[in-house]
Amino acid sequence: MNDAQLPDGLVAVVKADCPTCAMVRPVLEGLGAHLVSEDDDDGLARSYRLGVDTVPTLLRVEAGTEQERTVGWSRERWEALTGVDGLGVDLPPSRPGCGSRTQDPGVADELVARFEGARLQSRRVELSTYEDDAEAMFERGWTDGLPVVPPTETRVLRMLGGTTRAPDEIVTVVPPDLVECTVEKVAINAVMAGCKPEYLPVVLAALEAACTDEFNAHGVLATTMPVGPQLIVNGPVRRRIGMNSGVNVLGQGNRANSTIGRALQLTIRNVGGGRPGGVDRATQGNPGKVGLCFAEDEEGSPFEPLHVSRGFAPDSSTVTLFAGEGPRGVVDQLSRDPESLAGSLAACLRTVQHPKLARRYDAVLVLGPEHGRVFRDAGWDRVRLLEALDERLQLPRDEVLRGAGGIAEGMPPDRMDDVTAKFRPGGIIVVHAGGGAGLFSTIIAGWANGTTGSQPVTREIVP
Amino acid sequence: MRVLDPTAEHAPATRERAARPASLDGHTIALLDISKARGNVFLDRMEMLLRARGLAVERYAKPTFTKPAPIDLRHEISTKCDLVIEALAD
Amino acid sequence: MHDIVDLEGRGIPGVFVASREFVEAASTQAAALGFPDVARVFVDHPIQDRTDEEIAALADGAVEAVLAALHAE
Repeated sequence: MNDAQLPDGLVAVVKADCPTCAMVRPVLEGLGAHLVSEDDDDGLARSYRLGVDTVPTLLRVEAGTEQERTVGWSRERWEALTGVDGLGVDLPPSRPGCGSRTQDPGVADELVARFEGARLQSRRVELSTYEDDAEAMFERGWTDGLPVVPPTETRVLRMLGGTTRAPDEIVTVVPPDLVECTVEKVAINAVMAGCKPEYLPVVLAALEAACTDEFNAHGVLATTMPVGPQLIVNGPVRRRIGMNSGVNVLGQGNRANSTIGRALQLTIRNVGGGRPGGVDRATQGNPGKVGLCFAEDEEGSPFEPLHVSRGFAPDSSTVTLFAGEGPRGVVDQLSRDPESLAGSLAACLRTVQHPKLARRYDAVLVLGPEHGRVFRDAGWDRVRLLEALDERLQLPRDEVLRGAGGIAEGMPPDRMDDVTAKFRPGGIIVVHAGGGAGLFSTIIAGWANGTTGSQPVTREIVP
Repeated sequence: MRVLDPTAEHAPATRERAARPASLDGHTIALLDISKARGNVFLDRMEMLLRARGLAVERYAKPTFTKPAPIDLRHEISTKCDLVIEALAD
Repeated sequence: MHDIVDLEGRGIPGVFVASREFVEAASTQAAALGFPDVARVFVDHPIQDRTDEEIAALADGAVEAVLAALHAE
């Protein structure tokens, strides 16, 4: 029964297990109201369609359409709505109602699936009662080796509530199988990863960024190098969804950090068809490939936020994709001036991929807060730090040539000036994150850069 | 429980049979007894029939028909044999 | 049937033999395991109270179908 089928006059939605409903029963009978009982299936469905969350709800209907409604018992409001005086003279002037059955946990889920499920276009897969739900996910090859949350219709519908985008909207084309991926498919994988609905917009933006030509997701996936897509989040979304930018920022324990990157990986795996042993040929890989996503600590940073430095408004929320390998720590517990600390960082940055290789690889420098303080106290901004690093990362030809130092690896002679910068301009991304105690930073080495490799991509997160 | 398919849906939702060889020649067939009574008699005859056709046969038995075969047994079958006949449920 | 499903998953073609009492249950079980097409051959019921010769005859009658389930057409 839809709204148009409501009988004209007064309609009351009630349930048996509600003292207020019982109390007003004689009043309703006296009014000749049509009763919709939530205790039968039909009545429950009608109640859901009417959006009733408290019983009794009294509605006035004219020409098949609801004109007004009131919730609970109140003589004053009922008399105003019905136009009848002297209602329930032996009753108290008012009494609150009870929760509608449509709000009961199991019931709500069932109704959502029944009425909204038609919006979902993905194939349904029936797991039998003999199958253990968790095992069934593994057996179908849908996991990354860790358990996933079974993506029921209810869970996926709930996840889709985290975005204003339509489920059938195409997000992007996902390599390697070049599949058009809908918002719905991302939502399914986000459920499996363990995301909450409010994380979904971040996952969607990350997928868009990953599948750009510049980021080159296919290349990142298919390489024998150990890299995987890594996500740096900026802007108000960090607080809103409870991301971690502090203690153990690159580690486990925070749901948003742990699941958003995983949702991206699962989508590429399940929708795009990219999995280890298949298109993914990484020789050794790195633990971050299960998913690595973290938030910048903008508030404590000595510099402007990363996304601002990349041209975005401070109050916009963004995700920056970087093709990175396993993070490596930098220890410097003695530098008190910025030159000395820049020297330490540069010495460690020199070893990105190999100390004798230059230009070909980017890196992310995750500056810990205690290191950040050294630069803040000296009044250095991001540009100053990058200049200082660049000065200290000019590699002399005779140190890096192939064969130099008895090491075959290195730079080919024909491409070398007397000195070559270790990194291309813009090849170091500095982000500020970590706990407040500990004179440490972290370097994340990147994959090949340039047009055949991968370039970092920043994408705005939209609701 | 009903779930939504997270993949691009290129593969069938149900499992399909493993590829069969064009001929049985040169293959070793495992005869796996589920250990219900009289099943061994059935398999004895099956073994005789297969050997008469020149096929190599290995015999195995589960400890009990009430549970799936132990993992070691399944592993052994999968390393020593290329085909399997399991009998006899009644 | 679980064993056949497991071994098929390891690339070992398999077939299970059951008495006709099992036709419905086998169908249900196969669907439950997500493998409706699993190979199966049925022989006449009963089994338990047959003589050895009768059981041998069941095997004679089933062997063609069993082998057919194990190789390609």
